[in-house]
Amino acid sequence: MRTWPFSPRHVVLIPLSALMLLPLVWMLVTSIETLAESRHFPPTLVPSGIHWQNYPDALAAAPFGRFFTNSLIVTLASVAGNLLLCSLAGYAFARLRFFGRDVTFIALLATLMVPFQVTMIPTFLIVQHLGLVNTLGALIAPNLVTPFGIFLLRQFFRTLPVELEEAARIDGCSRLGVLFRVVLPLSMPALATLAIVTFLWTWNDFLWPLIAISSTDKMTVQLGLASFQGAHQTNWTLLMAGNVMALAPMLLVFVVAQRWFVQSLASTGVKG
Amino acid sequence: MRRSLLFVAALLLVLVAGCGGSGSGSSNGGRVNIVLWHGYVDIEGRALADEAKRFNATHSKIHVTVQNYGNADYALQKVLTAIRGGSYPDIVYLYGSWAANMARTPKAVDVAPLIKSDPSINWNDFWPAERQAVTVGDKIVGVPALVDNLALVYNKKLFDQAGMSYPTADWTWDDFRAAAKRLTDPSTKQFGWAYVNDASEDTVWRFDALLWQAGGDILTPDQKHAAFNSPAGVAAATLLQQMATVDHSVYLDNGNGNYANLFNSGKIAMLFTGPWDLSGFPDVDYGIQILPGNQNHQTISGPDQWVMLDNGDARRNAAWTFLKWFTSPTEAMQWSLATGDLPIRASQIQTPTYPKYTAKYKGIATFVDNEQNALKARPVLPTYNEISQAMGQAIQAILLGKAQPQQALDQAAQEVDQILAQGS
Amino acid sequence: MIQRALGSDHLAGWLFVLPAVVLIGVFGILPIGWALLLSFQHNDLLTAPTWVGVDNYRTLVHDPVFRDSIRRTLVYTALFVPLSVGGAMGVALLLHRPIRFSRFYRTAVFVPVATSTVATGIIFNWLLEPTYGIVNFLLDKVGLGPYGFFQDPDQALYAIVAMTVWGWLGFDVIIYLAALQGIPEDLMEAAQLDGAGRWATFRHVVWPLLSPATLFLIVWSTINALQVFDEIYVTTRGGPLRATTVLVYYLYNQAFELFHAGYAAAAAEVLFLITLVFSVVQLWLGSRRVHYSS
Repeated sequence: MRTWPFSPRHVVLIPLSALMLLPLVWMLVTSIETLAESRHFPPTLVPSGIHWQNYPDALAAAPFGRFFTNSLIVTLASVAGNLLLCSLAGYAFARLRFFGRDVTFIALLATLMVPFQVTMIPTFLIVQHLGLVNTLGALIAPNLVTPFGIFLLRQFFRTLPVELEEAARIDGCSRLGVLFRVVLPLSMPALATLAIVTFLWTWNDFLWPLIAISSTDKMTVQLGLASFQGAHQTNWTLLMAGNVMALAPMLLVFVVAQRWFVQSLASTGVKG
Repeated sequence: MRRSLLFVAALLLVLVAGCGGSGSGSSNGGRVNIVLWHGYVDIEGRALADEAKRFNATHSKIHVTVQNYGNADYALQKVLTAIRGGSYPDIVYLYGSWAANMARTPKAVDVAPLIKSDPSINWNDFWPAERQAVTVGDKIVGVPALVDNLALVYNKKLFDQAGMSYPTADWTWDDFRAAAKRLTDPSTKQFGWAYVNDASEDTVWRFDALLWQAGGDILTPDQKHAAFNSPAGVAAATLLQQMATVDHSVYLDNGNGNYANLFNSGKIAMLFTGPWDLSGFPDVDYGIQILPGNQNHQTISGPDQWVMLDNGDARRNAAWTFLKWFTSPTEAMQWSLATGDLPIRASQIQTPTYPKYTAKYKGIATFVDNEQNALKARPVLPTYNEISQAMGQAIQAILLGKAQPQQALDQAAQEVDQILAQGS
Repeated sequence: MIQRALGSDHLAGWLFVLPAVVLIGVFGILPIGWALLLSFQHNDLLTAPTWVGVDNYRTLVHDPVFRDSIRRTLVYTALFVPLSVGGAMGVALLLHRPIRFSRFYRTAVFVPVATSTVATGIIFNWLLEPTYGIVNFLLDKVGLGPYGFFQDPDQALYAIVAMTVWGWLGFDVIIYLAALQGIPEDLMEAAQLDGAGRWATFRHVVWPLLSPATLFLIVWSTINALQVFDEIYVTTRGGPLRATTVLVYYLYNQAFELFHAGYAAAAAEVLFLITLVFSVVQLWLGSRRVHYSS
């Protein structure tokens, strides 16, 4: 299969990308405008100059360094937890036959079906009983494993050829060993996806940290940003500068994790 | 013997207070720590931090910590959750519309007895609208934090360009409507007026001002029935309808505040708005006038409050001391000077700082005087939010041309009667 | 030996899922149980609640606003799921085979997913503003419009569909890309050697092998669509004239703006049942149609 220098696919992909990138462009432009320029409507797409001052101002308006650190700790912990626990559970639901398997799976999935607005207060009470209120633990514990991740990995594991796993078992490998030595290496795209998505959600989570955290030194980036959104005085330039800074780690993670989406024929071991 | 008992008591007090967890102050060894939750940012946030610092420096027995709870829109959720969780602040900034709901929780301190026993707060010095907003039956559920009102803010340049003279204090509804029509130009996408049409309280309270001017009321005096579908209400609603659907002179904002940016860009000639919006108009040479009206120029005021929550006697007294200090004429005037907020007390006008304030904030004096036109207040009921929603839907429908004034208001009145009958 | 292997599968299975079950039990199932109890009360979260049995449910059945909100939620879901999942499959297929700038395209497609709902709401308000927005401006150039979009009760829900499809497409694309990654290249080659054209290859090789991902995305998108809230909160606030008041918006309004938390919990239970039915049906249909590994 040859790659044409100018594949017709570009005809679709270029306008699509433009559409997708429009908000980012607008955010960037707004973040380098002066406040007066941002208060125009229709918005100015080409500002008079680059007002970099908004970025240090945003950083100074609130302890963003602290917020970033908090967000990073919570997010990385959630990603690690999910990768491990969802792999274990997903594999069990995909391959192992045990009593009550399907009912348990549906029950876990069912917890996604009640909107958070309803469960957030009892969740707070539980977290409070555990003594975790206003700690980063309150943000990590409920997010250590999610039924979404279990479902995702279950589906992916089931697409893998089961012969490999059986072969490993016959060779005397334990179930845990099969999971870690055979299945997971083949599941890199799925794991990368789970990592990206967990990172994204935990990073962007707003409502739960709002409830669980009450002191500034434990706030996450999204909470800090929300302080800018006053009812009547939206300081859009600072808000967008803050948003751009908050978006940057996300994009960085995505660009790095993208490697796993490149087709790799090397070690699939599935030939013929 | 007594000394060791005291020691044990103090120890217990520390343990009990210490178990409060987050968001709580404590009382230890004579100094009382209290916590204040607020949503201020930027200038106001810094001003509040300064005030707290000054208070702490001059009051050795009390230490107040101010905490930003994020966006004031979410304040009620946070406070509710905190109260349920057993760990909540001593003072919290809340919107006036939540007063009736806060009155129902036993954790909210009833300030009425405190006012009676401590006249130094000079309660009647606060504007009538503020006092009404925090009074729920026999209880007084908060101390005024903020007051504002609606006035007519207009773009002088657009009037000049159209060769029209500026709005006067005698303007009638017809004058206003005619001016808006003349200032509307579809070819340049310019509108004479703007109205927030998201069916929220923002939609309702501007209508309320017109309703009251026409002699109407929101509810009957016994608060058992709706009264806004009276001829006065229909007259007010018809003004809105005619301007929006016949003259097409009204820009309908869907709740995202774009009207402010449009006004700043010279696309809208007149607004009914308050002092909070003024800093968003750096590019406009604006004028401020009282609202247009036929027999009177009544306006509506939207006060917010500091609600005190009960964390025990020591902290409650400390919180009261802080609020008295913070809302005293000199301190409140300092605050107004720093933030542009309207004076919360009539006596602030007499302080030496007042002229500095009116010099610093262009046109603010009109708003201060306009506070005297805020004669009526919205009902302080737990069901007010439902009433507001019913009215908001009706006004939105009228402005969109989907319903006739009498019919829409009648339907809303029916809903409101039901709401009032059910109680809450 | 087989007997023993099967027997200890039970133990291993439960050990593997135990941490997840415990965590989700505490942070997922317990709160849901509390919410169920709440639905049998009149509770404003501030004062002492009163038990009212199934009163809330009875009121729900007769509540026209609630019934309308269910209808709108179903309409929204029926549009959102096919558009986002179907569109994503198309885009993923375009991006899967080697192409120049693929990294750029993938990142571009992902950007809306990473953008916060607040920023998304602001920009769509700007784009779709009836008088000053750029969309009406462009449509006017080709002789269409102007449209009210978020301000028109008849168009608002569809505008929300467009906005949310835009915001979620990239997410589905990533899932599909990961799934396509797992299709062995030699299967595709074999099909072509057999003389299969592109469409036939797609239909008989790619589509079946993508079916586990498709099932996942359909179930997941449905669950999410039935609970759409954030995007509506930052744009139309349930209006105009309730045109975008979907179930969760109605529920939020009841609980946090009108202080009817018990009533809101009852509405949430109804939503839960609807979602459960959808998911079970989809999974059951899927188990018959979805093609897992060779």
